[in-house]
Amino acid sequence: MIPAPFLEIAVLTWGLILLMVDAFAGKTDRRGVAIAGILGLLVVLAASFFLTPPTPAAASGFWSFYTADPLAIFFKRFALVTTILVLVMAIDYAPAIRMGVPAANPHAGLGEFFTLPIFTCVGLMWMASAIDFVMIFVSLELVTMSFYVLVSFTRRNPATLEAGVKYLILSALSTGFLVYGITWIFGVTGETNLTQIGTVLATQEIDKIPLLFGIALVLVALGFKIAAVPFQIWVPDVYQGAPTPVTAFLSVGSKAAGFVVLLRVLTPFLMLPQVGRLLVGVAALTLIYGNFAALPQSNLKRLLAYSSIAHAGYLLIGVVTFSGAAVAYYLVAYLLMTLLCFAVLVVVGNSGGSDQIEDFAGLAKRSPFLAFAMLIGMISLAGVPFTAGFLGKFFIFDAAIRQHQTMLVVIGVITVGCGFYYYLKVVRAMYWLTPPADSQPVPLSALSRLTMTLLIAAIFVLGVYPQPILNALDQPAARATISMFR
Amino acid sequence: MIREYIPVLLQALVAVGFAAGALIISVLLGKSGLRTQTKDSAYECGMVPQGEAQPRFSVKFYLVAMLFILFDLEIVFMYPWAVVYREAVVHSHVIFWSMLSFVSILMVGYVYALKKGAFDWKK
Repeated sequence: MIPAPFLEIAVLTWGLILLMVDAFAGKTDRRGVAIAGILGLLVVLAASFFLTPPTPAAASGFWSFYTADPLAIFFKRFALVTTILVLVMAIDYAPAIRMGVPAANPHAGLGEFFTLPIFTCVGLMWMASAIDFVMIFVSLELVTMSFYVLVSFTRRNPATLEAGVKYLILSALSTGFLVYGITWIFGVTGETNLTQIGTVLATQEIDKIPLLFGIALVLVALGFKIAAVPFQIWVPDVYQGAPTPVTAFLSVGSKAAGFVVLLRVLTPFLMLPQVGRLLVGVAALTLIYGNFAALPQSNLKRLLAYSSIAHAGYLLIGVVTFSGAAVAYYLVAYLLMTLLCFAVLVVVGNSGGSDQIEDFAGLAKRSPFLAFAMLIGMISLAGVPFTAGFLGKFFIFDAAIRQHQTMLVVIGVITVGCGFYYYLKVVRAMYWLTPPADSQPVPLSALSRLTMTLLIAAIFVLGVYPQPILNALDQPAARATISMFR
Repeated sequence: MIREYIPVLLQALVAVGFAAGALIISVLLGKSGLRTQTKDSAYECGMVPQGEAQPRFSVKFYLVAMLFILFDLEIVFMYPWAVVYREAVVHSHVIFWSMLSFVSILMVGYVYALKKGAFDWKK
């Protein structure tokens, strides 16, 4: 039996060891670092199933900052799985890193490219456990700082530099909003702990205006993290310019952590009706903008960026209705299908193609397996039945109807229709268009083939048997928060 | 209340008036001097100036400054730690091990910077 905080300490220590290995490795091949990282994270993932159950009495000292409730454990595993898959992609992406980093040593930069995701993973895991604004802020910063480096990693590429600068400036700005919002909330309630804030709000008479101002500022910062409209301006450019594995990490890891924090932060504030109304508006705008802006895209990475905005909209419906289980299931489905698409994108991009949809023309004839993987990813993102993406949307809409959010369901269903158009555009290019005459089959490593097969299998298994995910979150706790909302 | 500030206003008026007056009087009474290229050039101890006024300098300076900030900031944590150490260590040894882990993380950063050649001035 292992105490929960040891998971993060193990990941952090392993990351530091790998960083030292890289520093002393000289001119040897760095792919061993990535393999060691994947194996280490797998061990920690296995260890997360043997945790000591949290003692409910301990809510002081360290445990007033950190919780090991089912939601936290679930998203710790989520962060670990995401990081493992990103590292698998990063191994495939190594040749592009060599071209993008100016240095004499051909292995320069690779070690950092493989170890930084591990540190990001630590931040994501701490974020999942954070129940105090100070802890939320510190772990958020750890995640963001690692992403500053990762986003602008291939710095010879001007598009990557542009993405890095945009991400740096807008992220720093949103951090400013977060701190300012926390200050206002602390000023009104005198607490930074979320549970304590809830107690103060329930028992004392408090001036609502500064409190709403504070929570609105916090929502701005979190809206930036989860790419909700109107804080989505950075998403297309950064997603397109960043190295592809980093884009995948941003769109899954960063977004999931943002949603965990959103669920936690909103818990004490749900008795304020204004917050609920604000979120409904943001969710509707995000759904409409993300789906409609994705329609004319011709670049696959950009298309996935807009699709990531659209999926933030569906997830926000889940947050508005406060159904933690639906949000968790949707995020898992989103992880599987998004990472599958990005994995194919990395492999195809490596074999000389770019990220344009037209470069996928006739992929089914060149590499049937890759085309099939992309097909599964796309139809799951669109929400075809018997895939995880369908059930995700189903649970979200189910929760929304139960809470009588009919307007959101109507918008959601219409925008799902848009989704079919732009996702199937990629499928059409792969299966109906003829490949260029000089096209070669795309080489695929055994590790990537295994990973893609597992992802495809998981999409179908969870698409017909969602119980493991739904049961992973403690049901009584979820019900308690829903009843509080009513 | 506001009357107490009148001396301040008076002094500001005198200062502005003196500066403007000195300039105007020197323009009215003085002769305009002879200007040549040599006279307008920057004065460098009597030597003929070389190069540009803002020369490019090595990017190493920025790296050193960054590393300095990184390793200097640990003092912020160490001062309060040192102040409470004697009383806190009686209750538990956590305070010792937490600082040791913090310093060892810094150590990893130092070794990393060393191995990556951040202190190599010749490159």
